[in-house]
Amino acid sequence: MGNPIAQKLAGIVGTSALLVLTTACGGVTELTKQQVARSETAVTQAQTTVGTSEAGAIELQQAKETLSQAQQAMQRKDDKTAQRLAGVAELDAQLAVAKSQSAASRKAADELLASIQTLKREADRSSVVNSEK
Amino acid sequence: MKRIKSLILSASIIAVLGACASTPKTIDELETARALVPQVEASPRAGIAAENVSQARQSLERANKLATSGGKLEDIRYESVVATRNAQIANEKILTAQAKEELAKGEQDRQAVVLEARNREADNARLQADTAKQKSASLEQELKDLKAKKTDRGIVLTLGDVLFDTGKATLKPGAYSTIDRLAATLKEAGGRKVQIEGHTDSVGSDELNQTLSQQRADSVAAALMQRGVTSDQIIATGKGEGFPVASNDNAAGRQQNRRVEMIFTDDSSRVASDAN
Repeated sequence: MGNPIAQKLAGIVGTSALLVLTTACGGVTELTKQQVARSETAVTQAQTTVGTSEAGAIELQQAKETLSQAQQAMQRKDDKTAQRLAGVAELDAQLAVAKSQSAASRKAADELLASIQTLKREADRSSVVNSEK
Repeated sequence: MKRIKSLILSASIIAVLGACASTPKTIDELETARALVPQVEASPRAGIAAENVSQARQSLERANKLATSGGKLEDIRYESVVATRNAQIANEKILTAQAKEELAKGEQDRQAVVLEARNREADNARLQADTAKQKSASLEQELKDLKAKKTDRGIVLTLGDVLFDTGKATLKPGAYSTIDRLAATLKEAGGRKVQIEGHTDSVGSDELNQTLSQQRADSVAAALMQRGVTSDQIIATGKGEGFPVASNDNAAGRQQNRRVEMIFTDDSSRVASDAN
């Protein structure tokens, strides 16, 4: 990832692949295959994180659909579309995870705040009872 | 990021190659990105999701550039979606950080509340202990401790004749602890009055018994005043032999009759009127 020459080369490969694509039916680049594979992993991970919870469920569904479109594009050797869709699917999966995590944190924070309120109320009440004794 | 750059490269080359597709006036995806990206950038916690925020900005810039240079609609849409997704991810990360900050602060608050409640409980316990102490120090409690009896005339405490030498009015040292306690509680209850009555058995002349009973009552009154009880709280009377509590026919009964009674009424006014 860190090698700029490799990146540049990849860019050129990508460009030429696209150019090829526009003229003839070329193959799918290694880069695209990697991206699709990465998206598949991301979707699987998101599935685990989101689980059955509501938060992130829509985004996860979106990620699955986009990934499936990417896979279809790859099958019909539409390299550019496959790569882009796979990239978006990965982002969808990341969003699903982020949403699920933020909902869980929010829930925990709200529950804690509520428990503090209850504690405060109980403390106040017991002090009133005691002062009336 | 580099990959996206290569995509731009491809896109621009394609654009240069002459695909001069006319772009519509508004592209929904681009508008969404334009609205969302500055929002997350403006968040004070944007640094938490720096990577996503920066990706969002870069993609938006590319989308804008494509839009102004008449780029392909699908390219503009793609960059816009990438910008939007990154902004959304950044937003969720920011929200997560915010919730976690609240959690950390809440945990501190919770501990503070628990500590406060515990302190207050301890205070209350101390307060209750103090109140109980005060109660036990009250006159009623003191009299109860001294086995005083509640009667129609008030609470009556009987000092037996064992506290006096036979035929004399001098208090024996054995009476001092009782007198000390009574004096202390009477001093505290400043308004309360006590009626001290001396009684004898039937042995001896009426006159002598009257005098002895008065002297014994006076002697108790003097002991109380020595200990700081004011004279206006005390009424000392000699009752002679006329008010026996037991038979004078046997020694045990006579011993019961030789006594000093201290009568405490529920309020000061009643003792005063009783005395009249």
